Amino acid sequence: MSLEYAVETVNLTKVFGNFKAVDNLNLKIRKGEIFGLLGPNGAGKTTTIRMILGLIKPTKGAVRVFGVTVEKERRKVLKMTGYMPQRFSLYEDLTVEENLMLYALLYGYNRREARERVEELLKELLLEEFKDRLAGNLSGGMKQRLALAVALVHKPKLVIVDEPTAGVDPPLRRYFWKYFKDLNKRGVTIIVTTHYMDEAENCDRLALIFRGRKIAEGTPLEIKRLAFGGDIVEILLEAPSPPNLEDVEGVKKILESERYNGTVTIKVLVDDASSRLISIVKRLESNGVKVVRASQVYIGLEDAFIKLIEEQAR
Amino acid sequence: MILTALIYKDIKQLLRDPKTLVMVLLMPVTVLTMFVAGYGGPGGSIPIAVANLDGGSISWQLISELKRASAMGLGSFEVVKTAYTFEEAYESVRKGEVYAAIIIPKGFTEEVFLGEETQVGIILDASYADISERVYRVLVLTMQGFQQKVAEKYGGFTFNIYRVTIYGPEVSKIDAFLGVVMSVLLHLVPMSLIAVSISRERERRTFEQLIMTPISSYDIIMGKLLAYMIVTMADTFLTLGFAVYVFKVRVVGSFLDLMVVSFLILICSLSMGLLISVLSKNQLQAYQMAIFAFIPSMLFSGFLVPAELLSPKVKIVSKLLPLYYFLKAFRNIQIRGWTLYDNLFDALMLIGETIVFLLTAIKLLKLRVE
Repeated sequence: MSLEYAVETVNLTKVFGNFKAVDNLNLKIRKGEIFGLLGPNGAGKTTTIRMILGLIKPTKGAVRVFGVTVEKERRKVLKMTGYMPQRFSLYEDLTVEENLMLYALLYGYNRREARERVEELLKELLLEEFKDRLAGNLSGGMKQRLALAVALVHKPKLVIVDEPTAGVDPPLRRYFWKYFKDLNKRGVTIIVTTHYMDEAENCDRLALIFRGRKIAEGTPLEIKRLAFGGDIVEILLEAPSPPNLEDVEGVKKILESERYNGTVTIKVLVDDASSRLISIVKRLESNGVKVVRASQVYIGLEDAFIKLIEEQAR
Repeated sequence: MILTALIYKDIKQLLRDPKTLVMVLLMPVTVLTMFVAGYGGPGGSIPIAVANLDGGSISWQLISELKRASAMGLGSFEVVKTAYTFEEAYESVRKGEVYAAIIIPKGFTEEVFLGEETQVGIILDASYADISERVYRVLVLTMQGFQQKVAEKYGGFTFNIYRVTIYGPEVSKIDAFLGVVMSVLLHLVPMSLIAVSISRERERRTFEQLIMTPISSYDIIMGKLLAYMIVTMADTFLTLGFAVYVFKVRVVGSFLDLMVVSFLILICSLSMGLLISVLSKNQLQAYQMAIFAFIPSMLFSGFLVPAELLSPKVKIVSKLLPLYYFLKAFRNIQIRGWTLYDNLFDALMLIGETIVFLLTAIKLLKLRVE
């Protein structure tokens, strides 16, 4: 048991009937990071989160949150953890303020402390002017903000948000991510599930989940490199045919080349674009080839993700 | 086409909630079975007392004739007590040990032999108007039959029946019905109201967020119980007060005792409802289960017919029902004027059942969303 991890799952498995929703999942989420759980719908993200929070019982395996075993001491875990479920789960027949007050009191604040904390959250999440509105009458975005406020009411060290940006308009999505980063700077560990790949770039580390299994884990960069076996650089040359680069250090493979009107465009797979780009250009120029343009090809997480899933499905 | 598509969809949906479906299908069969079990076979007997002040041969013949008489489709009389004085017989009815007592006067045998006029007495418990009316009619019929038989052997005689009523003179329909009305208000209504409370939280998913706070199943159960108690209590006392002070329903005992008993059944009903709530997956199921749970109470608790008249097997079921104890205590206080202390056993049974329901509910409520 290591105390550097906020969450550790060991062989976590959940079987519903004869369907394996989560299959031997081992995650190590470090303290103070924004960790993304990525995967298509039905991959087992929500089930994993619910097991981490003790909302459902694992078929096999265990979860530790800040070193505390969830199955044994769930209460202890709950005091350190905030949760924003995927779907709105607050009382629609209570007002924004009443919902917040209820949760503040349930987490053990006294009435005065609760009032202060609620004021603070209303301000922080821009809900002040709606505080007397019934939660059922809020717009989607406001509901999400209220849900986040409730998740944060007891100042948890770990916040787990399940698809916080699903069905949310772009400005609010941006606001959420800015807010998460701020929280993270204050030392809060954040676990977020999403199927928006562009958002996932904001995470410090990611785990890719597919059919209940982890198929990759690491920083966004590591995952992309894993998917393609390295970085890709694209070079436009004035040459009749593609040059030989195989012996240059760090070059793994020429992926494709295209001849056009006395020029050649090549895509080269290298272990690290930032250091190898210069050495490749130098090598070409020393061979007398004129390099018109050379740059790293930007790979989206989406491409990496699709590639990894295709490999997995094969 | 549109219609068939809709019909098809609804039937499919019904079939996919097996628990509810089973209840809907089982309900008629169960009700019928319970009804037959309770009312179909030989019913329970009506306990009566006999004070045979005479002791002569004819008096014994009369008693055996009475035992043979069936109480008009409600089973037969059972002489559970033999009294030696009028006062003793009277006391026995007053205490509720028997529904009626028959007094055979001293010198009865002699008077019959001599063909003189004789006086047979009956002491009736008016608090069960239904039964005492039947007992009286059966007694009259039996006596008439007996008179003919005896006349053939020993020659004619005349008899008079005089009646003495306790808790009477007569209990009006509305007086007798108050207990039934209160049963619905204090049992069925709060039970079905609270039965959906937890399943509603599950259905609306508020349960998922609620159980993320460090609360226990004790907190959830007790929180619901007390909240619903506060709301339904006002309603209860309003109804009771209205009946007594506006409609002048007769209450012989103390109003406070009546309130205490009402309060006990209210808490018990809410606890039972909470247990149903814990056991059901959704609101529809909870409603069905609440209604289902009310059926035995309606049939066997003395709600329709005094529980004593049911067949002996079913009487065991009666004794499990909170409503049985409530109705008994409520009627004793309201009509007979007994005190709460006289009904201590019933009150304790209600408290005991409440505790069992609550502990089971707390134990079974899992703080999970599976």
